[in-house]
Amino acid sequence: MKEIIKTESLTKHYGKVRAVDGISLSVGKGEIYGFLGLNGAGKTTTIRCLLGMVRPTKGNAYLNGKKVTAGNHKLWNDVGYLVEIPYSYPDLTVRENLEIIRRLRFISDPVAVETVIEKLQLGLYQDRKARNLSQGNAQRLGIAKAIMHNPGILLLDEPANGLDPAGIVEIRQLLCDLAFNKGVTVFISSHILGEISRFATRIGIIHEGRLVQESDADQLDKFRKRYLQVNTFNNNGARSKLLEKGFNVDITTNGLLEITGDEVIAHPDIVSALLVNTGYPPTLLKIEEEDLESYFLRTIGMTGGAK
Amino acid sequence: MKGLYAAFLAESLKVWRSKILWIIILVFAFIVVMIGLLVFISMHPGLINSSSLLNAKASFLGTVDWSSYFVLLYQIIAAIGLMGFSFVISWIFGREYSDRTVKDLLSLPVSRSMIVISKFIIVIIWCILLFLVIFFLGILTGIIIKIPDWSGEATIHAFLIFSITSLLTILVSLPVAFFASWGRGYLLPIGFIILIMIITQFIAAGIPGIAPFFPWAIPTLYSGAAGPEKSHLEVISYIIVFFTGIAGITGTVAWWRFADQN
Repeated sequence: MKEIIKTESLTKHYGKVRAVDGISLSVGKGEIYGFLGLNGAGKTTTIRCLLGMVRPTKGNAYLNGKKVTAGNHKLWNDVGYLVEIPYSYPDLTVRENLEIIRRLRFISDPVAVETVIEKLQLGLYQDRKARNLSQGNAQRLGIAKAIMHNPGILLLDEPANGLDPAGIVEIRQLLCDLAFNKGVTVFISSHILGEISRFATRIGIIHEGRLVQESDADQLDKFRKRYLQVNTFNNNGARSKLLEKGFNVDITTNGLLEITGDEVIAHPDIVSALLVNTGYPPTLLKIEEEDLESYFLRTIGMTGGAK
Repeated sequence: MKGLYAAFLAESLKVWRSKILWIIILVFAFIVVMIGLLVFISMHPGLINSSSLLNAKASFLGTVDWSSYFVLLYQIIAAIGLMGFSFVISWIFGREYSDRTVKDLLSLPVSRSMIVISKFIIVIIWCILLFLVIFFLGILTGIIIKIPDWSGEATIHAFLIFSITSLLTILVSLPVAFFASWGRGYLLPIGFIILIMIITQFIAAGIPGIAPFFPWAIPTLYSGAAGPEKSHLEVISYIIVFFTGIAGITGTVAWWRFADQN
């Protein structure tokens, strides 16, 4: 697959702070690459490097096979972007803000503004000044500016910020349509794995400036921890018996037993039989899968937000 | 040129729809009218109490005729003009940072240099508009308050001096764009120009010998508003002003082109 977005050991230091530290990734045509990380992980700096807004300390970024530099402005013909919270000229209306972008992107057809207003459902607000928009509509305006020229590459920094659930679904569908039907390559950052895993084809997790994991989205299940959840009338006693038999058992915060291990997941009946035979018959026995949030936090070496 | 034209149209729309354009024009018009009022009071001292503060202010004008009135207009453009032009430049460049819209201008098919140059073109048009407002409103005010000794020839000569003083003032104001970009807002450029005005006063009063070499003192010297030093201006003073303007433009273009835009 043709590499549309590529970074090679991309590094950006601000003094002693390593905002981005040797990131190498590539995104093929028509892929949606979910770039996941906590606030301050280096997502925005990476996107700024991809957009030529900051110069990498080391390494390079490429779009459509061409090296990204601030002076290579022809590169941006095929790129739409949204960096952090989108802001627009407060004294100008939605339509006027889009008109400015239309001119700066050399779009000769004035209907492009109408089309994107319709696509982002901004019709009701088109004559409203940007200063009077809600956060959600300001976000829609930012996305409209990014897609108005029908770019082949979209670099979006947390585009779902401020959108209501309906808006999130709508943007997700829009991006899926662009990627899967029109071949647009989408690089999208987020800090919510649950949201990004719904539509990304590939996921990279960044933490403290480093790419700590990269995988196809449909492989996520393979990495997620599975465990057997058990409840009995005496969980402390049951745990002692299970530990004696060499099982790996924890008691969760809600008092349930959590047993991990490939054999347990494959044959939960062994645990069940043992508990019955030792006088601790289970009242609950089910295989659970680690949720995406826990998986994400575990991947970056954190639990519950604390290291 | 396509990029410059597109950027210019975009900048024009931004300025046209802003309140600031009209506010600055009104402020300048107000200042000219106030100066006219002072001149009127100095022409008719009996109109208000002789001990009033306004009368005291008006009395410094001395004998009023069109030539002294023109000198007042020169002073406005050289001093208040510097502040006004600097404010215009601070707004055009600094607003992109304070409104956080600058990121929308950095990765476009239009080069950043063209964006900056289009902003400078808007600055120059805006400043010329301000200078025309001051001059023609000043003339209108002078006619309304019936300043004696009108001369068409003297007015044309004054217009020439006023135009060149304005041009010199615009040129020395251009570095403000760099400070607005570097400081990412309004605070640094406004602080810079206030500092420059203080230094200019200090130089003019304390070490007048270097005033012809200090860019921001040169427009006032040229206009003659500061006294007869105008005749002492050598070519080097004009070269200094020219290069101050060029430094302002190239510094700003370089900042937009090469500095990290976080």
